[in-house]
Amino acid sequence: MILSEKDKINELCQILLEVGALLMETGANTFRIRVTVMRIACTYGYRAELLITHHALMLTLYNKESDQFFSRLKQTSSHRVNFKIVSGLSRMSWHIVEENWSLEMVRKEIDRLKSGSHYPRIVTLIMVALAGASFCRLFGGEAIEMLVAFVATFVGLFVRQEAAKREFNPYLCIFSAAFVSSLISGATVYFQIGNNPEFAFATSVLYLIPGIPLINSLLDLLDGNIINGVVRGINGLTIALSIALGLLGAILIYNI
Amino acid sequence: MEWIHLFETWIWLGFAATGFAILFNVPPRTLWVIFIMGALGGTLKLICLKLGTNIILSSFMGALLIGFLSVVAAHLRHSPPFIFAIPAVIPMVPGAFTYRMMLGIIRLTGENDHTIFLQLLQETFDNGLKAFFVLTALSLGVSGPMLLSRNKSTKEIKTSKIVTKIFGSKKASD
Repeated sequence: MILSEKDKINELCQILLEVGALLMETGANTFRIRVTVMRIACTYGYRAELLITHHALMLTLYNKESDQFFSRLKQTSSHRVNFKIVSGLSRMSWHIVEENWSLEMVRKEIDRLKSGSHYPRIVTLIMVALAGASFCRLFGGEAIEMLVAFVATFVGLFVRQEAAKREFNPYLCIFSAAFVSSLISGATVYFQIGNNPEFAFATSVLYLIPGIPLINSLLDLLDGNIINGVVRGINGLTIALSIALGLLGAILIYNI
Repeated sequence: MEWIHLFETWIWLGFAATGFAILFNVPPRTLWVIFIMGALGGTLKLICLKLGTNIILSSFMGALLIGFLSVVAAHLRHSPPFIFAIPAVIPMVPGAFTYRMMLGIIRLTGENDHTIFLQLLQETFDNGLKAFFVLTALSLGVSGPMLLSRNKSTKEIKTSKIVTKIFGSKKASD
């Protein structure tokens, strides 16, 4: 299939915006989005100018030889961290540079990455719960506290996944997860089970910490993408606020 | 005894990092690398803390180690470096400080007693500042190799070249 110049630039623009939006949704920082998109555009002989924000991307492609340019805007959908897609897109950009992939191949690869597999749900739940138990151990907890942290994290993450599946507001999902986790671990503080039940209480919500928004926020600020950095930072702080509200709920109920 | 304890901490730190890696759905081939990196970075932080450095500098040291290891790992396993670096530093993210600050702010709004208010304000401010600076240290540490090498992509970073890049090349044409 031979595409005309206009169709080609249209298709390339769609692909680049798709790549950029996917990277934004799955947790890449602004600098990486810009580099990846520009790298692909360069390979096809165009210059790309990008405006990247949290909820929309704007792209202008310019071809010096034919003196044509093409602009387009794309909104990002809901943000959900998925490093498999980030890694896959980065590898794809190198394949494009080194092996001169056609646009059709790129489109196929993007579709393949988008339908890519997640870890089985039970594996995620157990491993994250184990991480919660590890945090508890690092704080100085013993076997009983670790078990409490494990159960609290497991149930809390389950609640969060179910809430996310029903498409509640993301902050509400985090609030309910934090509330359920701290209700479970708070019960042991209330009934004084184990030596230091406070450790389990403090670590049972750590799986919710907004690590990626906060680190990406600082990385963006360091790169000079001040607006994106501030947006991500506020997002992270709002998540921290939801966690704190969930904890506060449990504290008020048990009066600890 | 001390060493056994350190080894145990090492394992828990690794599991903490791997748990987050799975939550972020990293490719399976990177999992064990993240385990080791998370464990090494966390251990360095703990050692620094034990030697009497403050939490901010210790976190920076740990993150810097993870940053450099992530460049090596990126070459070995063909993935962008931050895929390794972010899950590995997550156990060091000051989550406890951040939500204690938020909890403090919420409590401040309902506090009427002057002395308790001041004490609470002091704690809240302390937690908030620590959270911010630890976070800055972490991101500086993780992006350290990129900042030092002045490259746009990790693929161009070769360890031997970093030194010449920082101190400038002697050849004028380079």
